[in-house]
Amino acid sequence: MNIHTYEKVWLIAALVLIVGFIATITYGSVALGITMVGDQEETIEPSELNDDERFGEPRVEQVGENEYEAYVIAQTFTFYPDPIEVPADSEVTFYVTSRDVIHSFSVAGTNINTMVIPGEVSKMTVEFDEPDEYGVVCNEYCGDFHHTMEGLLHVVPEDEFDMTELSVEADDEIELGDEATFDVAVENAALDDLETTVTLEIGNETFEETITVAGGETHETTFEVDSSELGEGDHDWTVTVDDYEESGTLTVVEDLEDEDETDDGDDEDGDDDSDGDTDGGEDDE
Amino acid sequence: MSEARDAYIDNFPAEAKVVRAAFYSSFFALALGGVFGIIQTLHRTDFYRFIDPADYYTVLTAHGVFLVISFTIFFLVGIFTWAITTSLDREVEDIRFTWAWYLLMAVGITLSGIAILAGFIDSIDMSASVLFTFYAPLQAHPLFYIGLVLFVVGTWLAGLDWFRSWWAWKAENPDERIPLPTFMVLTTTLMWYLATLGVAVAILFFLLPWSLGLIETVNPLLTRTLFWFFGHPVVYFWLMPAYMMWYIMLPKVSGGKLFSDPLARVVFVLFLILSVPTGIHHQYLDPGIAEGFKFIAMTNTMFLLLPSLLTAFTVVASMEHGARQRGGTGYVGWLKALPWRDPVFAGMALAGLMFAAAGFSGMINAGMNINYLVHNTFWVVGHFHLTVGTAVALTFMAVTYWFLPQVTGKALWSRSVALGQVVLWFVGMTFMSNAMHRGGLLGIPRRTAEPQYDGFEFEAAVGSVGELDAQVALGGVLLTLSLVLFFANVIGTALNGRSDALPANEYAETLSGPEDAPLVLDNLKLWTAIAVVLVIFAYTFPLLSIIDRGGLLGPDVNPFPVSLESVAFLTFAVEHLGTAALESAGNAVQTVVPGVIR
Repeated sequence: MNIHTYEKVWLIAALVLIVGFIATITYGSVALGITMVGDQEETIEPSELNDDERFGEPRVEQVGENEYEAYVIAQTFTFYPDPIEVPADSEVTFYVTSRDVIHSFSVAGTNINTMVIPGEVSKMTVEFDEPDEYGVVCNEYCGDFHHTMEGLLHVVPEDEFDMTELSVEADDEIELGDEATFDVAVENAALDDLETTVTLEIGNETFEETITVAGGETHETTFEVDSSELGEGDHDWTVTVDDYEESGTLTVVEDLEDEDETDDGDDEDGDDDSDGDTDGGEDDE
Repeated sequence: MSEARDAYIDNFPAEAKVVRAAFYSSFFALALGGVFGIIQTLHRTDFYRFIDPADYYTVLTAHGVFLVISFTIFFLVGIFTWAITTSLDREVEDIRFTWAWYLLMAVGITLSGIAILAGFIDSIDMSASVLFTFYAPLQAHPLFYIGLVLFVVGTWLAGLDWFRSWWAWKAENPDERIPLPTFMVLTTTLMWYLATLGVAVAILFFLLPWSLGLIETVNPLLTRTLFWFFGHPVVYFWLMPAYMMWYIMLPKVSGGKLFSDPLARVVFVLFLILSVPTGIHHQYLDPGIAEGFKFIAMTNTMFLLLPSLLTAFTVVASMEHGARQRGGTGYVGWLKALPWRDPVFAGMALAGLMFAAAGFSGMINAGMNINYLVHNTFWVVGHFHLTVGTAVALTFMAVTYWFLPQVTGKALWSRSVALGQVVLWFVGMTFMSNAMHRGGLLGIPRRTAEPQYDGFEFEAAVGSVGELDAQVALGGVLLTLSLVLFFANVIGTALNGRSDALPANEYAETLSGPEDAPLVLDNLKLWTAIAVVLVIFAYTFPLLSIIDRGGLLGPDVNPFPVSLESVAFLTFAVEHLGTAALESAGNAVQTVVPGVIR
């Protein structure tokens, strides 16, 4: 075959370029450890996510000193959890799956980006150095409101990051003379034990209990308050654990109407910093 | 008939009619696609919104399907038919067969188009807002899938038509080399047969039965992988006619000859071999496909740069040769001697220049680890508006100014309007695509009606999101103006009277001809076999693994949208319509079979 000299030179240069590209990509994979989303994860039934150990409760979990795992569900047209909070200077492995159609989990302005396919779990390990706030978008068309599908990823300073969650179940209304009960659950999703104090303030009284919550466990404390001490009327109460606070009002009445007194505190303020009530109350969020 | 004239329509009057019909179908799709293009450009960038955001996705589906399926492929069958008849210098074997495949394609795309456009009308319970990729569990109306099947079958028959011409010619000319244009058509057609197997399996075995309610679920990863089995090579199906024009027309309009016939053949053989086993590079970020398979696809993709790099050399060398024939001198001074005022030349040269830029963004896309940064962002949209949206579309529009007189027998309405049109397209696309690329780097997603979010904003290191939006909108407006000029020329030419002064129907000669090419290059069976083996290597294990993991019919997921209550009711009617259409297609084929068998 008759090939012009210049063309031979060009051909060789082109081949060198191609081999060079392949080499840099191989270097990125092997030496820099930029692995691809792959097939390491087992398949999953999208209709059974609620019963799944990992995705039943989408969350961030600590698995090592600076290592965390985030279980995220993408579904039309939201991400759970939202926001996702992780500490700076950490290594986070994301596990993302879909409940319905194909979505993506893409953190704007970063290379955190994966398709999310129903039946499959995308796994990605990411290092976060600095505190920052990122938007999360779905970049695969998923239906009429695709453009509204967004979330937030907060990388918070290490010292501001904790994984404690407080939830309180308390009576709304009791009869004078009965005991008012306050069931306080403190969840510690971190790896290390958490030593802290649970404080209940009601009326002029203060109750305290020092607790130790083991890593990955939930500690439950019950305070019982004698209503005759409080007297008839409305009493505001506050439960405090570290920076977390839950509050409500207890009404003490002379005679309870024929009402169902098991009515719980129904989380009227449903505040964001305790969105993970262990009683499963988040399903209607 | 004038003795002086030697245009295509004079030598092949019957074929010229089919080619003309294909071109007009193509241009009709281009007009529709253009209208939807400007609507979504203005909506997305928030300059002018008059549609419901949910309808944006119907607009986007129509824009995609009409442009990358109907516009490109109708144009392709037109110039491939021209190339076969011209380079073999023989009429098609049976013009009724030729019309049959054209009509089948037209009916098919009309059905799909109806299913898509019905999405705008709430009272019609039919929609296909599933975008060009129709990823399950998004589900379209059955009519959409049926139309696509008919369209693809039409292209298969078109391929058969071209092969029949070649077989007949070969019987009469056993010792001759395959003429270059015919060689290009045949290799591209073989690639297409191989590529469309993926989408045919996806639709016929899974998506169509599923949309008809015959099966309840599909495996989303499997149908998606089968789509990309087809979805990557289809881009070469759009590109190959443009390449053919760069090889056989551009040297001629530059005033010279094609630099090398053998290397042109090598390039097309490489495309036949490497186009299909690369589809997984669209799925670098898919869970459920092992990294190793992605690596193989990446390697194949990188080697696919080779034919494009070779083309760049040959095209530039041929242009330089032409320029020097025209008196050009100097290292770069010869560029001035090129016929820049000829819209056919200027359009193709500018398209080629844009394609070089597209090559660079394509190399980024192909790099599987850097792909994390750009996957499914606006960057990708910028990339393919340079490839199919400029390298292909602008080349097609430019050569239209040469082909229209050839197939109508009428002079071009206005050469200066034509020149303005191609330049305007280049300028418009420069604004639009560079802003799209930059937007993608900020993480702005593609395929999103209103990429303005409540909780955060995209941060631009240079410029601002507002500036990017302005560039995209400005680009879109310029492109729309360019289209208006194009259609003015097409219509003006159609209304022109017969011209006696048309150029002859010729394509470029070569400096180094087929006699320099090893015979083995013409061994289509060998190259097809190699292509098949590579596809088997690249796809058997990924497909088996996907089926093994997720099952043939996948997990329990509902189709989406689920609101089509009457779909079961319609199923019956559509099944009948589908069967009837297939039967009539079958009949059409049967009527011409005697001609085939002879």
